[in-house]
Amino acid sequence: MKALTANRLIDGEVVFWSHGRWVERFGEAELFTDEAPADDAEGRAKSEGTVVVDPYLIEVGETDGGAAPIAYRERLRALGPTNTPDHGKQALGGHDIDVIAHASGVARSGGRLNLIKRK
Amino acid sequence: MPKLIRLTENGAELVDDRFTTVSDDEPIPAGDVILSLTRYQAEGEVLAGSNRATGVLLAGDEEVEALVYDLPRIPVVALSFAKFRDGRHYSTARLLRERYGYTGEIRAVGDVLREQAGPMVRCGIEVFAPSDGSTAEQWAATAGRFRHVYQRAADSREPIFAERAEGRAE
Amino acid sequence: MYQYDVLDKEFLADRSAEFRHQVARRLAGEITEDQFKPLRLMNGLYLQLHAYMLRIAIPYGTVNGAQLRKLAWIARTYDKGYGHFTTRTNLQFHWIKLRDMPDILDALAEVDLHAIQTSGNCIRNVTADPRAGATAEEVDDPRVWAEVIRQWSTLHPEFTYLPRKFKIAVTASAKDRTAAKTHDIGLSLRRERDGTLGFEVMVGGGLGRSPYIGKTVREHLPVDRLLSYLEAVLRVYNRHGRRDNPAKARIKILVAQLGIEEFARQVEAEWALIDASKVDLPDTELARIRSFFARPDFQTLPRVSDAFDAAKAADAGLARFARNNVHAHKVPGYAIVDVSLKAIGATPGDASAEQLEVLADLAERYSLGEARVTHEQNIVLPHVKLDDLAAVYAGLKAAELASPNINLVSDIIACPGLDYCALANARAIPVAQDIARRFEDADRAELVGELKIKISGCINACGHHHVGHIGILGVDKKGEEFYQLTLGGSGAEDAEVGKPLGPALAANQVGQAIEDLVEVYLRERKGEERFLDTFRRTGVAPFKEAVYAEAH
Repeated sequence: MKALTANRLIDGEVVFWSHGRWVERFGEAELFTDEAPADDAEGRAKSEGTVVVDPYLIEVGETDGGAAPIAYRERLRALGPTNTPDHGKQALGGHDIDVIAHASGVARSGGRLNLIKRK
Repeated sequence: MPKLIRLTENGAELVDDRFTTVSDDEPIPAGDVILSLTRYQAEGEVLAGSNRATGVLLAGDEEVEALVYDLPRIPVVALSFAKFRDGRHYSTARLLRERYGYTGEIRAVGDVLREQAGPMVRCGIEVFAPSDGSTAEQWAATAGRFRHVYQRAADSREPIFAERAEGRAE
Repeated sequence: MYQYDVLDKEFLADRSAEFRHQVARRLAGEITEDQFKPLRLMNGLYLQLHAYMLRIAIPYGTVNGAQLRKLAWIARTYDKGYGHFTTRTNLQFHWIKLRDMPDILDALAEVDLHAIQTSGNCIRNVTADPRAGATAEEVDDPRVWAEVIRQWSTLHPEFTYLPRKFKIAVTASAKDRTAAKTHDIGLSLRRERDGTLGFEVMVGGGLGRSPYIGKTVREHLPVDRLLSYLEAVLRVYNRHGRRDNPAKARIKILVAQLGIEEFARQVEAEWALIDASKVDLPDTELARIRSFFARPDFQTLPRVSDAFDAAKAADAGLARFARNNVHAHKVPGYAIVDVSLKAIGATPGDASAEQLEVLADLAERYSLGEARVTHEQNIVLPHVKLDDLAAVYAGLKAAELASPNINLVSDIIACPGLDYCALANARAIPVAQDIARRFEDADRAELVGELKIKISGCINACGHHHVGHIGILGVDKKGEEFYQLTLGGSGAEDAEVGKPLGPALAANQVGQAIEDLVEVYLRERKGEERFLDTFRRTGVAPFKEAVYAEAH
């Protein structure tokens, strides 16, 4: 399963693609089971240069309670920094935050599926 | 005829480019031409005989020292910016102006963007073939953004400490 | 410190207006992200994991009360109420929005602060000894020269698009508190036998993927020739540094490739052709800049403060603080006070808006208006009267700024790491916090003595792990956080790159490993040896055995 993520240009906020719009909670992200729609969304996102910066696809897995990004880095992006639990999206709480916070599992830590080298 | 932007003391103007930039595998047309350094070194002598102007295009890794003896006969040096972030030709331009006293045209070609107008002008480049569709007015405005500078370069601007001293002297 | 006049302020206003214009162009889609990125980097703005990060320049680490208060205000107004001090003595905010940047730059300009060239492939903030103007050890105030370089390098049109970043440090004491040998250029002020002031110029230091200790390219450079010589070095680098591979583009690679002799020859040849009269500053301008670093009006005080001695005798906490955080000042009756931003359990290098305001108050009231930032992410109050030390300590303590752990095991340098940074492979902050908690017993920390632990979350080495007595590098092994330890690094005048200890450890093994290393040290040490000294004598074997025996 995949999801599409980026940072919003205007404020740097981590956002996720959801059926043509960008949402701030991973719990509302569109999950792709097939490659073609995922690539298609990525292509559309890349043309939104004044909305988001650097969109890319991430791997998502099923855990107890729901879906979560597989890569630890992507879980951090979906939650916020671990040293200050009341900063970032984790401060909002909710079921989807709990699922991500309790998820574990390994993948390439970058979580990127398009093999662009992270600088 | 393609247009270039030339910055002057009063602002900027569009000028015709009377030169044809010729790649290494093309035949050399009539009229004024700009050749690569390699080609200039091979064929420049021959062309000097004919009644036309021959300029040189320097790639990012080509050094101005190769041109020094020929500079008096070279009307234009075109500096190729393969990527706008490649800053080698800022040194090239300064050396041409300040060390070798070059008074011909220095032009920037390639990935030439308006936001680099400031440092380009200060380094002695005065003609631009922008790749971002920017206008002469925009180049002039961008080049004039800073009322003060902190160091000397190829332009005639006095550094801020000299301005300050002059201010006090008045 | 340097005082901006109307011309300097106009420059900041023009810079701020320029960036406002560039942001508008970016938002309107007139320039692409690829075209915009160097422009925003040269105004200190990174796009990180959760938000934009803004790196504000603190030139040569010197900051005054008004500036600290404005930084506190920006923290509250535009960020989440805190800032992070870095290993290049800058201040970072980690939750910035692009749309607020133009207003933030305007606010910074009100107190003569900016974010010019704190990132990007250009000449970065010039750092200097945080004890400048206060220590008896220095041959001259290095900040004079840091300011000279700062002005000359500001929007230098020839060096705006270098192959890679360029970092310069200036030190003026035998003890190097700037890590000068790990800089692209390290300048060490010396007096020749005839009394003339000059720099030993070291080039090609740098950490990151391939750490190098700088080599001396010129033994003695007369100080009034500084800028023309720097121009020669920068021009050789700009023309010949590699442009094909960012991992091989620092000047350290060029110096290694050419060899120091050939590199020096090229620099000297270029220098000989430079018209020095166009670059080197006239004596009048040098004198003007120097005037901003003139010796302050110190009072004439006795060497010993009875009040302070009595206070220490009555308060063991103050006595411990004095032992670890207070150092001799060149003027009798004064002291240099180190303020630790490494409270046990806190995020290393972070200061809340409230703490910044306390530092502002203390600086103004007790330190002749100045505070300094160190490359070890701490603060210095450089000119505190011994008579005032008890009051300063009380003020610091009330703000949780009185940790008596300077240079001790819990005084850890840590980069923000994977909690914040888009480049990171692993987190650094929790590792630092775990180690600090294990050594929170102050008596034990003092027993261990000087031990510099430095943690980086990736090979970019912003935590300076290569030059830690114990260095910790976060790596990614199959998506899990692992940590490679090194031993025996030093960023001081005896600079050295640390040696690997053994295979990377899992996150939950690091804290115990540090305890094991400390136990070996305590067992093996002779006399007054610090951890580093013992390691240098015994080598890695006893340390490796202790850690990896445990790990199995």
